[in-house]
Amino acid sequence: MTARAGDALPSAPPVIRESLQGKYAGFASRFTAFAVDLGVGLGVFLLALAAISFAARVLTGSDIAWNKGDTWVIIAYAAWAFLYFAYSWAASGRTAGMALFGVRVVTGDGTDASGRRAVVRTLALPLSFLFLGLGFTGILLGDRRRALHDVIAGTACIYSWDARAARLRFLSRG
Amino acid sequence: MDWSERRLAEGRLVPRSEALAQAAIERAVELVVSSLDVNELLDMVDLNAVLDQVDIDRVLDRIDLDRLLGRVDLNAIVKRIDVDALVEQTDIGAVLARSTSGVASDVLDVVRSQTVGLDDFIARWIGRLRRRPYTGPPGPPDRPRAEAAS
Repeated sequence: MTARAGDALPSAPPVIRESLQGKYAGFASRFTAFAVDLGVGLGVFLLALAAISFAARVLTGSDIAWNKGDTWVIIAYAAWAFLYFAYSWAASGRTAGMALFGVRVVTGDGTDASGRRAVVRTLALPLSFLFLGLGFTGILLGDRRRALHDVIAGTACIYSWDARAARLRFLSRG
Repeated sequence: MDWSERRLAEGRLVPRSEALAQAAIERAVELVVSSLDVNELLDMVDLNAVLDQVDIDRVLDRIDLDRLLGRVDLNAIVKRIDVDALVEQTDIGAVLARSTSGVASDVLDVVRSQTVGLDDFIARWIGRLRRRPYTGPPGPPDRPRAEAAS
């Protein structure tokens, strides 16, 4: 063991001296995770449309013109978004964005969310956007940081990463 | 055997001369001890030679370590250790970093830490507006009784 007391550390991340695991996730984590999910979902959907166009061109020799105002495209996107969120929450309690930001969906008592709750949560999600996103104020003001769709589905969002371990890793890099 | 001899035999009566002699010896010992320089005496003792004669293994065999450790509150000791300073100032941290971390997880740690910092910033401001001091993220959720008991 050699001392390296004199070494300077790079700029430190926010001071996290305790593990956040299991604590209710805050607005920024949830919002950025949702933004990433929207990006991932849209990206995969556009890739799927491109793949279908390519296949149609190869098989029939004619292009398919996708129009974002087309009803079928909107219905397909809605179905895909529903599948993406509901399946992710039912399977592991987290979407890709939530996994990135260390956030997880659980039931109100902290157990894993069931498939039924995941479906209800997905269906109730658009309701939180109504009235200028009034349904999300519960995340900012509520003691359990639950949005409207959380209350309807009986779920909550918690941090699922070990912040203290991350801090120790950061300190060790100095 | 007369009365005084019988009492002497039973040890209940000390002859006057013997009592005087005992008192004189006690006083003499007291004077000798008070005049001794204990430090000087200890300097004259070769502790290494004494320790060479001690069988440490035999002493340790006689100690019940399990019982000894059972009386030690290890949690209290661990709580007194400044783990942050330990990891920061020694190579333990480097070992930890090599064994558990890659570039991707480093980036992930930073992104998550910054976002949690933003969470705290927002929550602190909301707390100020509501005049309710922010004491950290709430939680965790209450577990069902059966699970909590297990």
